[in-house]
Amino acid sequence: MRRTLPCLLVVAAFAGAVRLTAVDAVRWWSPGEGTRLPAYVTYPNAWGELGILNTGGPVETKGHPFFEPIGQNGRACVSCHQPANGMSISLAAIQERWTVTKGKDPIFAAIDGMNCPDLPADDPRSHSLLLERGLFRVFMPWPPVRDDGTKVEPEFSIEVIRDPSGCNLSPRYGLGSPTPTVSVYRRPRPAANTKYFTHSGFGISSFVGKGPIATTRDPETGLPTAMNMMADARVSTLKTQAVSAAQTHLQMAGAFDAAKLQRIVDFESQVYSAQVSHRVAGSLMEVNGPPGLGVRNVANESAGVLGNNTTQWVFPVGDVWKKLPAGAAPREAERNRMRESIARGHDVFMFRTFWIKDVQHLNTVGLGNPTKRTCSTCHGMHMTGMDVANGWMDLGVTNLPWAREEPLNPWNERKPQMPLFKITCKAAAAPHAFLGRVIYTQDPGRALVTGRCADVGSIVMQQFRGLAARAPYFSNGSAQTLRDLVDFYDRRFNIGYTSQEREDLINFLSAL
Amino acid sequence: MNIEIRRSAVAFVALCATVSMSAAPPAHRNFVTCPIVRDTSTVPCWLAEYKGETYFLTLQTDVSAPVNPPQLGHQVLVEGVVSDEPRVCGGVVLKPVTLSVLPELDSSCSTMLPAEDRYNLTFEAPRPPGPSKGRLAFAQDPATPRPAPAAVEPGPRTFVVQYDFDGLIAFRHGGQLSQIHDFARKSQAKRIEITAYRAASLLSDDKVFTEREDIGQRRAEQLASVLKDSGLSVTFDVKWRDAAKPDGVNDAALRRADVTVR
Repeated sequence: MRRTLPCLLVVAAFAGAVRLTAVDAVRWWSPGEGTRLPAYVTYPNAWGELGILNTGGPVETKGHPFFEPIGQNGRACVSCHQPANGMSISLAAIQERWTVTKGKDPIFAAIDGMNCPDLPADDPRSHSLLLERGLFRVFMPWPPVRDDGTKVEPEFSIEVIRDPSGCNLSPRYGLGSPTPTVSVYRRPRPAANTKYFTHSGFGISSFVGKGPIATTRDPETGLPTAMNMMADARVSTLKTQAVSAAQTHLQMAGAFDAAKLQRIVDFESQVYSAQVSHRVAGSLMEVNGPPGLGVRNVANESAGVLGNNTTQWVFPVGDVWKKLPAGAAPREAERNRMRESIARGHDVFMFRTFWIKDVQHLNTVGLGNPTKRTCSTCHGMHMTGMDVANGWMDLGVTNLPWAREEPLNPWNERKPQMPLFKITCKAAAAPHAFLGRVIYTQDPGRALVTGRCADVGSIVMQQFRGLAARAPYFSNGSAQTLRDLVDFYDRRFNIGYTSQEREDLINFLSAL
Repeated sequence: MNIEIRRSAVAFVALCATVSMSAAPPAHRNFVTCPIVRDTSTVPCWLAEYKGETYFLTLQTDVSAPVNPPQLGHQVLVEGVVSDEPRVCGGVVLKPVTLSVLPELDSSCSTMLPAEDRYNLTFEAPRPPGPSKGRLAFAQDPATPRPAPAAVEPGPRTFVVQYDFDGLIAFRHGGQLSQIHDFARKSQAKRIEITAYRAASLLSDDKVFTEREDIGQRRAEQLASVLKDSGLSVTFDVKWRDAAKPDGVNDAALRRADVTVR
């Protein structure tokens, strides 16, 4: 069911963490369905409504290469970049598709919708990483291969310690196969608000200090590109990403038609996504409301601007919700309290200091270890909260000891889901600054592209927009809810949020 | 693309970590130790102890700072001069000071001290611990008019790249690499000559602290590789050698690579 404004979604009030509900999965866009995507449309989610804004006007999806199957497995780009899910795909939507289609939807294709292509088809256990954590298989050649086809000489060896999916030890698909491959499992990123991660503004130059490497360049213009699109920054333009995704996830054979490729880029360059209403706080789109909320503001603001300051702000919220009247009616009072909570959550994001410690490519770039800063230190890009420059770092999402691991004991019947690799750095290599020369990781991240020891576990941070519509979070889906997400940081950096700070921060994130 | 990387190693001058030399001048403090971070009511201070004295190294600011703070989990090589400025955070101020984070992990470097009123800053920090007021701490004031970009002079120009002890290219080198790249492109350079050095530091205890044996080669080859990857169509001439003997005064400047663009 798709709705255009006004949408009268009534969602029961939630206490504590908001869990995934069926409302997350509403409105699935099937490849080739040919429906018109309106210029502005809203979709309900557990926190309120998400808005999709096409600044180029309504999109006729019939025959449109973003919406039509262009590969061999029946998928289209829209399969994993669903408008209702903020142009990503939520776990709830994946689970619903499994139920509705009995596992026949193209998103469950063996190539990456299964834990490994050689597992039994139609068995939910073969798709457990997708069905339980929203993860698709990303398969990377080992050693890494450059764009020119030459191989990177890795600074480390990689050993498979644990392989629940069976893919990394598979004689056909694994590290020991004729085409040695590392399989890791990641969430699809939002294909919206793309001007913010393809900008050529602040922080984009010919070289990246985190490496060091020469910045990737747009093959068409020759200019340095931002490298914030993919979890491992392996491609950096909308065109190169589309080609890469079509050849792998969509199993497209042959070359991409240039006109079709341009249509995909054109669509992705004008589609914006953000939460537009909150189930308690009401509209996030009011003319005199916070200027950093709502999808129209996301579309209208400038890209490539550093917002970690009190002039541009990351998410401009202003003072309008800081102190509101109590409200005469109960609903108005509740709304105003939530608006004040969102405003306080913004201040937690922006001003609540804590010790950021042992983060490779953050504490190593000149800030010192530890550094007493705030969320906005890393999440500094105006309007999206990405890194305004090239934003990969090892936060601990995939590297032990911080990565989420299944507790092993006689009373827990659950088994670990994620693979575990042992990385051993060569003596001549510069070690990971805080984990040294032996690292255990679920996903080596950027190091699968560069072969560098210091890059193990480094993941490019992603945008905050539309979070309410696309749980779970982090590249490996390890945070099922916004509360899980906040709790990870609280644990990782010993922040010690008060219950009020935690609640306010969650409410703020839910309104983006 | 006509790229040829020619390597020529120059014989090493023997340097030994145990060699004792003439002491560094009295005002100089050159030592290797664990850094200490002390919290304050605003930004933290970075300190180090040497022979019973506490030295102030730097404040937390941002990536534009001329001196980057050290890192817990790692020892730091301190090369500084005792100044006559008032103590900061209880430490004798070393100014100028060069700090090198040593690459290998040292878990014993973990001291974090809480804030104490007596050690709070008596001046406003260049940048608060949270968001800035609109610009990087040491960036040019936006109100100051910028000079017009100078015309690109034809002919060779040499850039000096400075390194941390045992260090390679770091985050702070990005701007300088861009300068080299831009000059080479605008001057239509045909050749880039790189000579990188392995150096040593004369410590205050008279010992000589020497960089790893292959660091000169690694610096030279890394510079050539990164500049090559940036798309420069030039020939690279890559050399490495040992620097002059350390004197305890200018040793940090010896850790360098000279990049001549022709």
